[in-house]
Amino acid sequence: MASGLVLLTGPFCFMAQGQDYVDVEAERAARAGSSAPAAVTPQSSPGPASDPYGVQPTRSYPATSYGLNRAPAAPATTSAPAPATSGGQNVGTLFLQMQQLQQEVMRLNGMVEEQANELRKLKAQSLERYVDLDKRISGMGPGSAASVASGDNTPSVATAPAQPMASGQGASLPGESDAYRSAYSLVRGQQFGQAVDAFTQFLRNFPDGKYAPNAHYWLGELYLVIDPPDLEASRQSFSLLLSQYPDNAKAPDAMYKLGKVQYLKGNREKSREYLERVVRDYGNTNSSAVKLSRDFLEENF
Amino acid sequence: MKRLMLAIAPLLLALAALDARAQLTIEITQGMDNPTAIAVVPFAWQGSGTAPEDVAWVVDSDLARSGQFAPVARSDMLGRPSTQKDIFYRDWRAIESEYLLIGRASAEGAQMRIEYELYDVNRQKMVHSGVETGPANEARMLAHRVSDAVYEKLTGITGAFATRLLYVSVTRVPGGKDYYRLTLADSDGARPIVLLESREPVLAPGWSPDGSQISYVSFETGRPAIYRQNLATGTREQLTNFKGLNGAPAWSPDGNTMAMVLSKDGSPDIYLMNLSTKKLTRVTRHYAIDTEPTWMPDGRSLLFTSDRGGRPQIYRYDLRTGTTERVTFEGGYNARARVAQDGRNVVMVHQQSGRFHIAILDLVTNRLQVLTSTELDESPSIAPNGSMVLYATKRGDRGILAAVSVDGGVKFRLPSREGDVREPAWSPYMGR
Repeated sequence: MASGLVLLTGPFCFMAQGQDYVDVEAERAARAGSSAPAAVTPQSSPGPASDPYGVQPTRSYPATSYGLNRAPAAPATTSAPAPATSGGQNVGTLFLQMQQLQQEVMRLNGMVEEQANELRKLKAQSLERYVDLDKRISGMGPGSAASVASGDNTPSVATAPAQPMASGQGASLPGESDAYRSAYSLVRGQQFGQAVDAFTQFLRNFPDGKYAPNAHYWLGELYLVIDPPDLEASRQSFSLLLSQYPDNAKAPDAMYKLGKVQYLKGNREKSREYLERVVRDYGNTNSSAVKLSRDFLEENF
Repeated sequence: MKRLMLAIAPLLLALAALDARAQLTIEITQGMDNPTAIAVVPFAWQGSGTAPEDVAWVVDSDLARSGQFAPVARSDMLGRPSTQKDIFYRDWRAIESEYLLIGRASAEGAQMRIEYELYDVNRQKMVHSGVETGPANEARMLAHRVSDAVYEKLTGITGAFATRLLYVSVTRVPGGKDYYRLTLADSDGARPIVLLESREPVLAPGWSPDGSQISYVSFETGRPAIYRQNLATGTREQLTNFKGLNGAPAWSPDGNTMAMVLSKDGSPDIYLMNLSTKKLTRVTRHYAIDTEPTWMPDGRSLLFTSDRGGRPQIYRYDLRTGTTERVTFEGGYNARARVAQDGRNVVMVHQQSGRFHIAILDLVTNRLQVLTSTELDESPSIAPNGSMVLYATKRGDRGILAAVSVDGGVKFRLPSREGDVREPAWSPYMGR
């Protein structure tokens, strides 16, 4: 209950408690060895103004006792080697000292927790930065211009398969590589309409070629950037890639793109399904499509 | 026990009517930018005499309170259809109502029957229809169920109108001992029933996961003890009577175990009590204060407040591995967590620039959002559908209940006409 209330009554409770501790301890010491019940409960009187289970945020010693001003602790150290005649007092000081140590440990504990959390956050951040950097460096090959060319500012395109990917084990068919490269050069030259024709022709000539999945992917991208965009053709290209080459490295990207295409088509539910599938199916891979899907989901749903 | 003035529900049912003055009233303080316009036409009464309850008005108020709907004023309605053939869509398009709810209520003996249909005005189509039946003296509950169905149909979120609230109201007696009343009310604050009245503090009310029982702490014996009480039978059981603190009971999601705070072994620590064997298991063992346990919906871990890090923060204890990890890092004070049924959103009391607000933490993104702008906010309790957070706050010098949607967009107050109201506990879904 009353957290605010507690704050107000907290210091008072603490003072009362502190007194209790000392009194009980002193009493116990005075009884010298009798097995008095040891349980000391920091319970405050059960009045309506007190909080019987709430946290008492100000249950600490004054801040000065932590800092340079060690006045409360000083008498304890000097009185520690005092003669045994003042045993009761000794136990009292020891108790106070222990309480101080507990407070100190709690404070340090809090610092360790917070710093561990900061470290965790920093680690995650630096990993993210590394992945981002890695992605950009690997995109600096022939595909570097692709992100510009495709007119899509998402980084997934930077990793688009300009460079032949080891999707199939077989070598490329004669002439396939050249045909793919010439089609791709049209993308780089921003001649999107001609690129569509070139990739379509490429797929007609090499329907099972090594670069066929790449061609499907590019067609999907290209249908989105031609004027006017052909959402349905784009959807078909990405779907083809997914259904025929489900294990292709571009599968998560194609799935993400399908999510975007469905979103553009106004099919929010389908879009969401694809995006969530990316997160679910590829969440444990380092595919950039996962993060893009997450971001897209967060921004638009 | 002599200080206990009244107890146990059955005795008090008769008193419920007398207690209408303690009823909570609702003021909406902030709504959504684009609430959906809906016309809730007064339902036709097909029984004898007058209708026991204005069902449509209850639905109207429920939808308005959600902030997601803007019900059309009755005075603006150009017709009062109660069957499909009487509907003239142009009447409703003229007043820009997007949806139309019509219905009929009838009674047979003590049984009441409500039939209703929901229409999309623009598409001129019925989108939902339903029937609710039940005892006539539960007419308001039936109406809330209609609200739940309409709300779910139009928002896709399960409604939480047919639920109940527990809260403690305190009537100050100048120069004397205060009255503490543990009160049960509908989710809109209507029909309050006093379950327990005492001159000693009553605290920390909570629900069993099926909503059939409640738990609370009462000082009626002069010291704190945890009780559980069956709402239908009124049977009451004292669960603890330990030296020191006995507080913050929290029912496990399976209903078999109760987490609680006891200080019998020194400083306050979290314990689990098996409710059938009454066997205790100690969960935390720390010289710091560990308190306010609450269960994650999967029952596998507990959240609790501890100052083991020097200041109160939320920690999570994993019951299988026995490990404790800190959950909150933002701000110097985070306490009294409650978890939504999705296991993702956690509401808590959060201190920001010296003021106590209600904040919500997303456990997946670790993003913390402050929801309230009032001060001295405390005791957040989350609706079973996770959409609204009920909490206690101060208005003037009075303690009142207020609610805020989990996105902070909708706010309303439930001020009591008398006394201080505190420690709300939103029930789980009832009878499902």
